[in-house]
Amino acid sequence: MAAYQAGSIEAFEALYAALAAPLLAYLTTLARDRTVAQDLLQEAFLHIHRSRRAYRAGLPVRPWVFTIARYVWLMDRRLRSRRPQSDQELPDLPVPAEVDGLAERDGLRRALGAVLPDRREALLLHHVWGFSFIEIGQMLGIRPQAAKLRSSRGMGDLRRMLSEIARG
Amino acid sequence: MGEEQVRLPAELRDIIARDLHPVAPLGSPVRRAVGMLPLAVALLVAAVIVFGLRRDASRIGPFLTWGASIIQMLLGLALVAGALREAVPGTTLPRRMLGIAFGTAAIAVLTITFMTWTTSPTLIAPGYETRAWGICLTGTILSALPVLAVAGWLAARAYPLRPRIAGALYGIGAGLLADAGWRLFCHFSHPTHVLGAHTLGIVLSGIIGVVGATVVSRRSSVSSR
Repeated sequence: MAAYQAGSIEAFEALYAALAAPLLAYLTTLARDRTVAQDLLQEAFLHIHRSRRAYRAGLPVRPWVFTIARYVWLMDRRLRSRRPQSDQELPDLPVPAEVDGLAERDGLRRALGAVLPDRREALLLHHVWGFSFIEIGQMLGIRPQAAKLRSSRGMGDLRRMLSEIARG
Repeated sequence: MGEEQVRLPAELRDIIARDLHPVAPLGSPVRRAVGMLPLAVALLVAAVIVFGLRRDASRIGPFLTWGASIIQMLLGLALVAGALREAVPGTTLPRRMLGIAFGTAAIAVLTITFMTWTTSPTLIAPGYETRAWGICLTGTILSALPVLAVAGWLAARAYPLRPRIAGALYGIGAGLLADAGWRLFCHFSHPTHVLGAHTLGIVLSGIIGVVGATVVSRRSSVSSR
């Protein structure tokens, strides 16, 4: 990040290589549309570029980058809010390792798609992308305890839905 | 979870490469807020130097005169530091902390108002109320403007993703810094005057911060498209 701030394009390429995939997965989770998420990913990297001065050495890079990506999604959602939304199509949502194997992949994604959005976001940020609850709190503007609560409730919902799916 | 490799689009790489130049990383929010200390001290003593110390200073004592103003000044700087932290992506303040920040500011202002009034109840001479109200309201807002400008610039240089919250924080902070000096000159301690003119000035400064931060944020997002 310091090299990128110093003006190295190679450093930007390395940053993109390291972060584009998890960011795309995160944006897909938020937008629930992979094509939209791919557009948002490019927009997010433009915002990251414009705000690179704000990054301070010593701060973890990923919460900073994910927060900007979330902001880009929020702005996009605001712009799209006047148009009718469809939740029918489920995107390729990432699955937490804790529940992977408890059901078929499709069932897992369907269950994950049915978890409340704020709980699903906290759950995935913690269990899939490995953010601490302090980092999630800073990214979402909530207390770490609230982030933990959302994540654990999301996991509870997910397990409940998976057992319902298993029962048929 | 295995994640696929996402290719960097050539168009995005070109845009970044064209615009890429070295930037100096920002300092910590606290350090940048402390950098505003000379301005805060100047505001604290400006009204006293120009108009003189409040007439009831000997009656209310050094704690309620200088002590209360210094506490208010430090609180104002803390709010500005909070705004500068809020302006950095990934370090946004939780709602509870925002509530504590605004709540502490409100409690401090009300406590200082009440203590000063009970120690030295000073009424405004009949017929002079409106003029005193206008002088103190205008004085507080005008004194807050330099802080609003500097703090607004510092916050905008970060990348506030919630500009209204950052603006409210540094706006109220600027109002507190301005009133910390203005109350050292104004000896009218009646709560209707203090709350109706001085505190209203702090609130209006907060509103100016919100509006200013929102306008700057919209302009920068439009110009960067």
